[in-house]
Amino acid sequence: MRLLTIALAATSLALCSPWILADTGKLLLTGGVSSIDGAAGGGLTPWALVGSNATDREIGASATLTRVHTQDYGLNVAGAVLGIHNRLELSLAQQDFNAGPTSALAAFGVTLGQHIKMDVVGSKVRLAGDAVLNSDTWMPQIALGLEHKRVHAGSMEPVLTALGAKTSGTDLYLNATKLFLGQGLLVNGTLRATKANQNGLLGFGGALGRDKYRLMPELSVAYLLRKDIAIGAEVRFKPNNLEPVGNAVFGANSAALREDNWQDLFIAWAPSKNFSLTLAYVDLGRIAPALVSGRKQTGGYVSAQIAF
Amino acid sequence: MIFFKPWIAAVVLVLANIAHAQTAPLYQSLGEKPGIAALANDFVGRLKANPRIGKMFDNIKPAYLKEQFTDQFCELSGGPCKYDGETMKNSHASLGIDKAQFNLVVEILQGSMDARGIPFTAQNQLLAKLAPMHREIITVE
Repeated sequence: MRLLTIALAATSLALCSPWILADTGKLLLTGGVSSIDGAAGGGLTPWALVGSNATDREIGASATLTRVHTQDYGLNVAGAVLGIHNRLELSLAQQDFNAGPTSALAAFGVTLGQHIKMDVVGSKVRLAGDAVLNSDTWMPQIALGLEHKRVHAGSMEPVLTALGAKTSGTDLYLNATKLFLGQGLLVNGTLRATKANQNGLLGFGGALGRDKYRLMPELSVAYLLRKDIAIGAEVRFKPNNLEPVGNAVFGANSAALREDNWQDLFIAWAPSKNFSLTLAYVDLGRIAPALVSGRKQTGGYVSAQIAF
Repeated sequence: MIFFKPWIAAVVLVLANIAHAQTAPLYQSLGEKPGIAALANDFVGRLKANPRIGKMFDNIKPAYLKEQFTDQFCELSGGPCKYDGETMKNSHASLGIDKAQFNLVVEILQGSMDARGIPFTAQNQLLAKLAPMHREIITVE
């Protein structure tokens, strides 16, 4: 809770300061919503946009609560973003993953109902471009970001260690975001260097030579139905580091710890500049399928954000 | 391939929307010259009434401003007009405009286009013609 407390305190402090109370000047929805890792973007991937309503020469902040629910698992995320001069973004997120079916792991000493928590500290810098206003060129907005993640798996930690996964890791990503304004179409591409298993909730890297950074693409498209409503889809490729060790433990071709790509269909609604609500259908593929009869995880995503 | 069905559905939907959006020429969507003149009239009224930037227009005759916007929007939307006013760079050089103010003007124009009942897709097409002017208009980074 410590990080979250700091995040919320920082946000409230920021919101009360005189330089925030001035109207901040981004156009509606052009600060994006908050990704599950805290950074501004879509729901599952960050975009090159700098979060909050602040544009050049302004400082802004946003705070977000997100809930993802699938057949067997649940994830709650609290996040906060500080946007500085439309150039630098600092973000914090705290994830609480309800690893529902851990009873299957009781034999390994895992407590029933174990939650896995993860803190994410992120920063993103806009390197070039303006995603919105350069509507006469193909040049996107380009940003470079960093996400440092630390996972607290409690009684599950020895299991992660046995699988060769570490409890902290740092992702580096480069993204390009372009709003084709005349068409009302936003496109984002992100290339992420990562070791994370299930975004880090199952640690970083794995045994059997899977402890290397791998480059993973993430793609988003969003279409503006109205000024205040965007619909879209995202896909995020993931490294699948634990499958080899899972196969070694549970049997060749068992795919016991197979990790799939994530994807979603979303609708984001911003009734005002200060509030947005995002709903999504998520398809998270298999998450530790050995524990849940190999079942794929699909479900709902709801996220509420206040921004200044 | 089953994993990609939502993704493909979304892309098809988006492309279908774009294809649909591009059928009517912008000049017609804006209501041709009379529609554009009415839009410019509403826009100038809102600009002058805005508490944050209204003062910037105090020394310009509203009728002149309306005529300039009408000609400019008409020409940009493919209509039979010619904007022969000052360049964007010259007319904004001394005003010290930053991106927040530029975006505010975009929002005011969106409000005027909403009030005139201009379809959202046409609004974006006009904004896409105007947005690149930020390079001449914004002088305070």
